[in-house]
Amino acid sequence: MIQRETEMLQTFARLADTLVDDFDVLDLMQTLVEACTDLLPVTAAGILLVADDGRLELAASTSEANRIVESMQLSAEAGPCIESFSTGRIVSVPSIAEVPVAWSAFRDSALAQGFTTAHAIPMRLRQTTIGTLNLMNVASEPLGPEAIMAGKALADVATIGILQERALRESGALSAQLQTALDSRVVIEQAKGVVAQTHDVTIERAFEIIRSYARQHRSSLGDVARAVVERRLAIPR
Amino acid sequence: MSDSSLEGALALLADLRTDDASMAEPFARLLPVTGSAVSTVGDLLGSETLAASDPMAAEIDELQFDLGEGPSWDAALRSRPVLTRDLPGALALWPVFAPAAVSRGVRSIFAFPLAIGPLRFGAVDLYSTTPLELDERDRDVAALLAGRVARRVLHRALAAVAAPDEATTSPFSRRIVQQATGMVLAQLDISAEDAKLVIQGHAYANGQTMMEVAERLVERRLRFTRTGTGIEERS
Repeated sequence: MIQRETEMLQTFARLADTLVDDFDVLDLMQTLVEACTDLLPVTAAGILLVADDGRLELAASTSEANRIVESMQLSAEAGPCIESFSTGRIVSVPSIAEVPVAWSAFRDSALAQGFTTAHAIPMRLRQTTIGTLNLMNVASEPLGPEAIMAGKALADVATIGILQERALRESGALSAQLQTALDSRVVIEQAKGVVAQTHDVTIERAFEIIRSYARQHRSSLGDVARAVVERRLAIPR
Repeated sequence: MSDSSLEGALALLADLRTDDASMAEPFARLLPVTGSAVSTVGDLLGSETLAASDPMAAEIDELQFDLGEGPSWDAALRSRPVLTRDLPGALALWPVFAPAAVSRGVRSIFAFPLAIGPLRFGAVDLYSTTPLELDERDRDVAALLAGRVARRVLHRALAAVAAPDEATTSPFSRRIVQQATGMVLAQLDISAEDAKLVIQGHAYANGQTMMEVAERLVERRLRFTRTGTGIEERS
């Protein structure tokens, strides 16, 4: 347990480190979801942020496999994500097979991926909810309270970071700031397509290539993606 | 001709608030031709004259539609410029159209394709009543203007026919369309904006949604190429 706690503290330190100066919201999100799968017994993690039109959109995910993304997005239409977002509460689904009929699209998609449990944690600071952290699992048991609280703490750090960034920049409405982060997602999706084509790899693998190039060169995901799409950067195979 | 007038013309063509009827005028102004006309040709957007710098240019265009032959057709279908310096000496190229155009006083005629990636949908006609040769710079200018006109025409046409479901499409399908846009821009070495037009145009031409085309691209059952017909299907 000591080792887990140490890792947890290191993660908090890393997240806090991301929050300096000119940090990139999407990079923070990506660090957060990867921390969730590294530290908690979950299979996949994703963050959905509220867009201009009030809908939740996926901003970061540990898996970029389109089918997993679809499950998370369906959860945001009718499923634990949207419920967590609108109530501001943690929503635990101990058995995806037994969810209400209204969530059947989410259920079918999640079960098809082999997921059995899901947890949605609101990203909320006082009265403001900006999105949800979505944890999906193939285990037969739902997450224990400790793991959920750890997930909540990680989500809180990211939420504070985002709200703090807005205060620092005084960049007007929160919705505009979140939309900007989601808009950079557009370029990342396009960059995934470019790399999938040029490297002849899957969309999922393409994201990993972009992500590791950004890390190696200490660039933001958004900057690398933009350079790839504008063909200023050809990531070596 | 100064570079600034070319820049100005390109900017004007890119501005969708300007009238489409003024699309032909920059060709006649920046090139040593008598007149010019812009038209859509073929199945994708139908055959129609969109703009003409003078009545004669419009008439030459109409003549080609009526007769089903002429430089516009050739340029649009082959996606290649057609340069006919001496039309009276090349009557065999278009046995019906060429004599008819010559009898109206046309001496030289040129056509540049309107195309983006594999989508071919129109041409710009340029005519001269005196024998004329377009030098390399003229041809570059004509191709540059035609490229800008192509984007504008396709953009406008697709906006007018956009399927209602595109507006309400889910965040998930938007992602797939963005990924496919990236694949197409790499396949054709074009901008993201043009790649999206190619997907949209292909969807329209085949009565599919952008999402359907995007899925085929991402699953590699469809790809665009810069050679041949420009489209490869694998089922």
